[in-house]
Amino acid sequence: MAVRMGFVIITSRCIDCDACMVACRAENDVPLGNKRNWVKSSGVQGQFPNVKEIFQPGNCMHCEHPPCVKVCPTGASQKRVDGIVIVENSKCIGCKYCIVACPYDARFPNPVTGKADKCTFCWQRLEQGLEPACVQTCLGKSRQAGDLNDPNSIVSKLIAKYPTRQLLKQVGTGPNIYYIDEAVPEIPQGE
Amino acid sequence: MELTWGLMIVIYLFTAGLSAGAMVTSNFAFLYGGQEFERVSRFGAYISPFPISLGLGVLLLDLGSPFNFYRLFLTLQVRSPMSYGSWAILFFTFLSVIYLYLWLPENYQVLGLRNPQTWKKRLAKFMPVLSVGVASYTGVLLNAAVRPLWTAPLLPVLFLVSALSTGVASVILIAALSPWQRARHRELHLLTKADAILIILECLIILTMIVMGRTNSLSVSSAFSNLLIGPFAWIFWLLIVGLGLIIPLALELMELKDKIPVKWALPVTISSSFLVLFGGFFVRFVITYAGQWSGWFN
Repeated sequence: MAVRMGFVIITSRCIDCDACMVACRAENDVPLGNKRNWVKSSGVQGQFPNVKEIFQPGNCMHCEHPPCVKVCPTGASQKRVDGIVIVENSKCIGCKYCIVACPYDARFPNPVTGKADKCTFCWQRLEQGLEPACVQTCLGKSRQAGDLNDPNSIVSKLIAKYPTRQLLKQVGTGPNIYYIDEAVPEIPQGE
Repeated sequence: MELTWGLMIVIYLFTAGLSAGAMVTSNFAFLYGGQEFERVSRFGAYISPFPISLGLGVLLLDLGSPFNFYRLFLTLQVRSPMSYGSWAILFFTFLSVIYLYLWLPENYQVLGLRNPQTWKKRLAKFMPVLSVGVASYTGVLLNAAVRPLWTAPLLPVLFLVSALSTGVASVILIAALSPWQRARHRELHLLTKADAILIILECLIILTMIVMGRTNSLSVSSAFSNLLIGPFAWIFWLLIVGLGLIIPLALELMELKDKIPVKWALPVTISSSFLVLFGGFFVRFVITYAGQWSGWFN
């Protein structure tokens, strides 16, 4: 089966340290004031003393049917054969159509390059056999990345074992980030 | 929610519609009005190239990499409305300049085409098709960016009708303002009638869009309530419904029934047609801004 790169994010393991955002900025030279990934908070829920707060990290969902790729007038936004959604800078004219078309607001206009900018799955690191910067740095092991079509990958094993949810599934984008809210005591071994 | 598409895009959406509407007005007046409506077709032809050229200018300025814009014309991405839309507005602008040239007084037509009347007729038959494309693809453009407000399937129709309405209004306005060849009563009467019908049509489309939107999913429904009772309510009710639709419609209906005293006729004509343009601009404004304001609920 074809490679389908995606993320599993375990919200119960996220402590909102924002190291993923720092690592991404350092790895990819993301300009200050913009971000390719984020950690959103649910806010404090419940009533004292039964309170909780859930942190939900995110980035580009590398959708199966990415609206950003469909609307791109020059073919700069592309979905690679391994499922990673990228922007080919030389073709991008900076019309920002993809940015308004993304229901996750995962893209931003890069003020330095004048191009649409987004998570690249750190493909430059994947080529060297490394994990994406946000995944490698995650100290709670909340962020996991890999081939969703490979049953031996960590992400596939997690999805098989725990209930998952995807964001805005009803919009029809086919997002490739799977969220697990349950406690995950141990991260399975995998490729 | 940050605004990615701002005023520049609104100006473009408005001017493209205006040009397309003025072009259609000119074409129809020429094809079906004959000698009697010659001035209407001339004014339409004189207006048409300019708004869209301004729109293209600001569109270019809005690009992050303006010098890369030629990339649009190295390809045709059939799934991207912006791609085929760019081609359409390129041809439209080009042909509208030629059309204007054909309407110039003969001593200005220095290029010496052999039979300008034939070409004029050919263009007048083809341009309405292209104009409808230019006026309505902007709605499809927003449709394709999956945002709750922009998924409204009637958006292209709304933009088309609004474009025709503003186009007619611009011809009325220029005809009324121009010191020479002031359009005669009969011409203005017909244009005003056409504009009134278009305004009524626009009201019906907006009403239908609201009913469809409010009965849609929670995300879409709340996107529409941003318009009706939310932060954009005053623009929607005051600037669009009030100043842009109801008042000019009332004025136009009074004009049609000759209820306006003669000394007020000109100011009323000018203000009603200006208000139509004003309302048309804010239709684009509210759709563009409110559309980005509202996202999907998980």
